[in-house]
Amino acid sequence: MFNILEKYTPMMGMGGGGGMGGGGGMGGGSCYVYPDAPATPGEVTPDISFNRGIYMNGSMTMDDGRSVTIWGFTDGGGMGGMGNQFPSPAIRAMEGQVVHTNLNVEGMMWLHTIHHHGIEPSQENDGVGHYSFDVDGTYTYQWKASHAGTYFYHCHTNTVLHAEMGMYGALIIDPPEGPGTLFSGGPTYDVEAIWACDEIDSSWHNLNWDAGTCGGDVGLNSLNPDYFIISGVDGAQSALTDPAVAVTMNAGQKLLVRYITAGYLPQRINFGGLTATVHMSDGRALPKPVQVTGLETCAAERYDCIFEPTTAGVYEVTVDYLDWVTGDVVGTARTRINVN
Amino acid sequence: MKKMINRRNFLKFSSAGIASALAASTGLVSWSPRAEAATINQTFVITEGFITQPDGVDVYFKSFSPNAASLTVPGAQIIVQEGDTVNITIDNTLGTDHSFVIDGIVDSGIIAGGSSKTVSFVVNSAGSYLYYDGLNAPYNRLVGLHGAFSVMPLGSSNELYAGSATFVQQYSWVTNDIDPVWHDAVRLGNAPTSAFNPYYFTINGRSMRVPGHPDYANPDIDSGYAPDTRLEGSIGDRTLVRILNAGMCIHSMHFHANHVEVLARDKQVLSDVWLKDVVRLNNNLGHTDVIYPFDPPPDAHPAVTTGSFPMHMHDEMTQTAGGGLYQFGAATSIKFK
Repeated sequence: MFNILEKYTPMMGMGGGGGMGGGGGMGGGSCYVYPDAPATPGEVTPDISFNRGIYMNGSMTMDDGRSVTIWGFTDGGGMGGMGNQFPSPAIRAMEGQVVHTNLNVEGMMWLHTIHHHGIEPSQENDGVGHYSFDVDGTYTYQWKASHAGTYFYHCHTNTVLHAEMGMYGALIIDPPEGPGTLFSGGPTYDVEAIWACDEIDSSWHNLNWDAGTCGGDVGLNSLNPDYFIISGVDGAQSALTDPAVAVTMNAGQKLLVRYITAGYLPQRINFGGLTATVHMSDGRALPKPVQVTGLETCAAERYDCIFEPTTAGVYEVTVDYLDWVTGDVVGTARTRINVN
Repeated sequence: MKKMINRRNFLKFSSAGIASALAASTGLVSWSPRAEAATINQTFVITEGFITQPDGVDVYFKSFSPNAASLTVPGAQIIVQEGDTVNITIDNTLGTDHSFVIDGIVDSGIIAGGSSKTVSFVVNSAGSYLYYDGLNAPYNRLVGLHGAFSVMPLGSSNELYAGSATFVQQYSWVTNDIDPVWHDAVRLGNAPTSAFNPYYFTINGRSMRVPGHPDYANPDIDSGYAPDTRLEGSIGDRTLVRILNAGMCIHSMHFHANHVEVLARDKQVLSDVWLKDVVRLNNNLGHTDVIYPFDPPPDAHPAVTTGSFPMHMHDEMTQTAGGGLYQFGAATSIKFK
């Protein structure tokens, strides 16, 4: 259906002028990428649409004062558009809706895609390199939200690098009842938190978008993270109090934590003495909800956890990031559930 | 290879696994149930040699091969049924000691270099197993001495265990993580001294190639096209995938286009079947069994029944080879016919 170029060397020599200050410049030619931006098959008028541009000159200041380059998606599609949010702005739709995600990669100096992880659309709309194409202009991903639950979206071009650089955001499908209900027939909630737990290897964060695609050892087999974050907030200290992560609620309320394993390493989350009832994972209801005081997860898993604390207190949640060979803890992020 | 001081004759292959040597030569494990137990005989020849990786580098391996002239990593898939008597003859052509182990079922003990040994055992418990060399652990296993061993329920053609969810076709995937420094230490008869640094990632001994690469779609080389790895089906062709980890890394298996039903993990039947798009695979002999249902991709609009999608690990370091080359790692394709 699509004209997939077998080997692509885009615009050699544009690297000098094309750099975006954040490591986004061309590195002298890419291999095994599949540029295209075709018309969307069977395009219809959507029930809801989202516009996403890209940025490759963002940064995150860590608790130790260092600044690390971050890439991501903008809301609205303009390069200077709606800021450089990290994680990227959430996509939130309702079960049954036909959704358009309009990606604009802002010129042909690099390639990106959006893969709606856990959403299972047609091949053309799955957003994966040579199975569909790497977007070099604009593309409208068309899909239908069939199952309520917690997902995330991320770039699937040179994924090992682009997702690590921060090109991801939450993707939430609400049931027809709307926010406040996890899924039809499932639990309700009063307070919601999205914890996308990720690790950062800052030594990867100065690479070009196409690093390694022509071969050569650029170290992408070896992740040695030095920062451990929750939803774009440093888990060393900031996430303990940052209202984007830390939860404040009243005893008797129901809290939904949408926990997204956004990094590559296994994680072990401990809920600080609270018990969670896990109702869903990966956008599907569990046959029987399970009660846990923590979880051990692997890359890209999602768990939807309901808390109903009855006792006021400060509960410190720890997320240990585990070496994928030894299982040793290589870092920890912390946040809090404050129950009044 | 020219500088090799070892006098043995090394085999060299462009890829692991010689498809014609597999017990399951079509890739799909074909299986016809029997009402009665049978005696199954299998011979393995332990050989060594080099396999060329996606970046062109030759890496040393050993394997349970069908004959002295081949190097088959992993070894042939074996499938039997409950009650069968299995006789495995291992002919060790190398100068080093090796063994043949299936946890909980058989352990040959030392098979000295230059000797042969036959182990006989009865299989009683349906499920998915890894056979491997338990000596010099984990090194002999990591350098290729491993393979998939499946036990079907007595008289059943479509269950993982009696009463399980059913399927119409089945595959076995053995994953591995390759540190060429460790492999070379084993070649030289040394214990590796460096920290494990996986540099290539395989399913059934192969890694992915992509359009534009000369080995793309070569079923002997490209894990996206190797018939024992690539999932192919039409709508409703529920497919059991037995996933066995011979390697050292904890993995996260991400299936596109359908969620899978997770039936078992690490030899434990899971009483509640979860639907997952990501499945954890523990390291060092970790295992999971899943059914890929080949349902129409649920979120397609307009609806579709055909397409090609990836299955890849989401610990994305595994999607590289030689420190780069994204999409030349441990992945395969899922083809809706």
